[in-house]
Amino acid sequence: MQHEFRFQNEVHEVTLERTPKIWTFVNHCAHPKEDGRVRIYFEDGTKAWAHVAKVGDVWWVHHSGQIYTLERIEPGASADEQHGGLVAPMPGTVLEVLVTEGQSVEAGQTLMILEAMKMEHRVVASEDGIVTKVSFSAGDRVEQGVNLLEVESPQ
Amino acid sequence: MIRRVLVANRGEIACRILRACREAGLSSVAIYAENDRTGMFRELADESVLLEGDSITETYLNGAAIIQVAKDTGADAIHPGFGFLSERAGFAQAVMDAGLIWIGPSPQAIEQMGDKMSARQIMKQAGVPVIPGVEIEEEDEERALEDIRQAAIETGYPLLLKATAGGGGKGMRVVHAQEELESSARSARREAVTAFGDGRVYVEKLLQTSKHVEIQVLADTHGRCIHLGERECSVQRRHQKVFEEAPCASMSPSLREQMGQAAVSAAKAVDYVGAGTVEFLLAEDGSFYFLEMNTRIQVEHPVTEMVTGVDLVREQLRIAAGEPMSVGKLELRGHAIEVRLYAEDPSNNFLPAIGPLAVFRPPTGPGIRLDTGVREGDDVTPHYDPMLAKLIVWAPSRAEALQRMRRALDEFVVLGTTTNIGFLRTLCDTEEVISGNTYTTMIDDVFPNGYEFNPTQKNLDVALMTAAVAETTGMHRVSVSTSSSKEGISSPFQTLNRRYP
Repeated sequence: MQHEFRFQNEVHEVTLERTPKIWTFVNHCAHPKEDGRVRIYFEDGTKAWAHVAKVGDVWWVHHSGQIYTLERIEPGASADEQHGGLVAPMPGTVLEVLVTEGQSVEAGQTLMILEAMKMEHRVVASEDGIVTKVSFSAGDRVEQGVNLLEVESPQ
Repeated sequence: MIRRVLVANRGEIACRILRACREAGLSSVAIYAENDRTGMFRELADESVLLEGDSITETYLNGAAIIQVAKDTGADAIHPGFGFLSERAGFAQAVMDAGLIWIGPSPQAIEQMGDKMSARQIMKQAGVPVIPGVEIEEEDEERALEDIRQAAIETGYPLLLKATAGGGGKGMRVVHAQEELESSARSARREAVTAFGDGRVYVEKLLQTSKHVEIQVLADTHGRCIHLGERECSVQRRHQKVFEEAPCASMSPSLREQMGQAAVSAAKAVDYVGAGTVEFLLAEDGSFYFLEMNTRIQVEHPVTEMVTGVDLVREQLRIAAGEPMSVGKLELRGHAIEVRLYAEDPSNNFLPAIGPLAVFRPPTGPGIRLDTGVREGDDVTPHYDPMLAKLIVWAPSRAEALQRMRRALDEFVVLGTTTNIGFLRTLCDTEEVISGNTYTTMIDDVFPNGYEFNPTQKNLDVALMTAAVAETTGMHRVSVSTSSSKEGISSPFQTLNRRYP
């Protein structure tokens, strides 16, 4: 089972192995409980607990006195970008719009910065093209799934 | 005699006071704004009354409406808590004029201590040491500058320029050397005119690496005025206390007695009644200087309660009812530490955070006290101060109290809203906190580039594994409630012309 999570602006890939009762990842084992906790077993025989809850797309994990916010990246998350429209991943506020209509952009260029759940999300161009529509400006609140801006690739 | 108390506050401190009323056998009334409809404090009151309106001036700052509610519900006393109306002399007077009991000091005492300059004058006369400094009364720019130059020779460098009418850091400048004096003075005056319409400044000696040490006082109407030892609250971020303890690690019994006597003199100078706090700066050489007096209960009052065994809120109720305080001979016992849990992001300049409290599991066990106004399932909204809870521990010694705090913070699980728990935990491991060598600018020195959370690879792997397992097996999910408000945070302290609670 493979998942991708974003933590502190870096994407981490996790491939879980499964034995009949337990999950493993890099020599650590995990056994999920019914109450939102996960029992952790280490190679050296020591154990620990982790608490976990999901809010929106973000998994909140408490382990060893610290809290980790891990944003799950949906498999094929770039699907939206194929038809040129870029949608808001969760409700939030537009922090900054870095492009204007008519501007040409390159793949990978940051077009807009959103803030949602106190985390910054960069909206990035998936291919070279021209910005044909900017639907919001800085300070606007956006709902999940709305079209933020459109980029058309010159054929 | 008091039978029914209206608590003119919300959140954590309202809960604290309402519980004290219940324990004292008094009935209680809460007031609340629409956006606090599901607030925990409402459930702790015998009755709660909605104050209509969207802004705090229509609700928690609406003195006239609050007094009307007190009359309508048969309350005979009003407890203001901290922040909001607690240090408004006009409100205290209006409460008394309405024939109700004001649980706090007289309006005159609030007024005298609320104004920085009058407080300074009164303290000087009462023989309480104040920070060496000079008030510049001159209005004319060039002549004022000449006076400031003269004053600087008296105080020496580094010095602090403060707006006389000021507060909140406006019109305030640190001047390290004579070359900087003129430009700093001009800009401080300019800023003061813009902010307060009054360009007068005040030249004060800057005390570096000093500690913030405050003395709790209690005075009743039977002529008794005592101090209950000190609290040290040096660990501050942006002038907001985050880590408080009693006693102060570097305190000696003789210094405690000196500072305690100064605080009692300060209280007596304004005929103080009730619970109050006299704040001092304690310099490295053991000299101390009056900062200000907070004429109300303070956020960090629990650490004093833990080491003295005195229930300060209960005493407030007793004193307001005209009874003598019930405090016997005081003996400080053990060590108490409080940390303030905020919904904020320490790695992003302590920006306030909002969100659901999807999981809220406080630590339990020996020596632990939690004062909070929230519970699991609540939403942290942008309407009010982002303080979620105060975690207080007590242990026989300072070292053990710190160990207990580490354990308690490790057990504290809050998911769904960003908090400063990890930052507080890191703080417990810093050399300054361990040694007790804390001072007011410590956080800036220890985290010069801000706080950053750098987990070990092993811990990050565990977190990633946990999230992956949870995702795969479809564990605990919480729906996000969208907050529609775009208003800024309104801290109860923003309503005060004071620095910090």
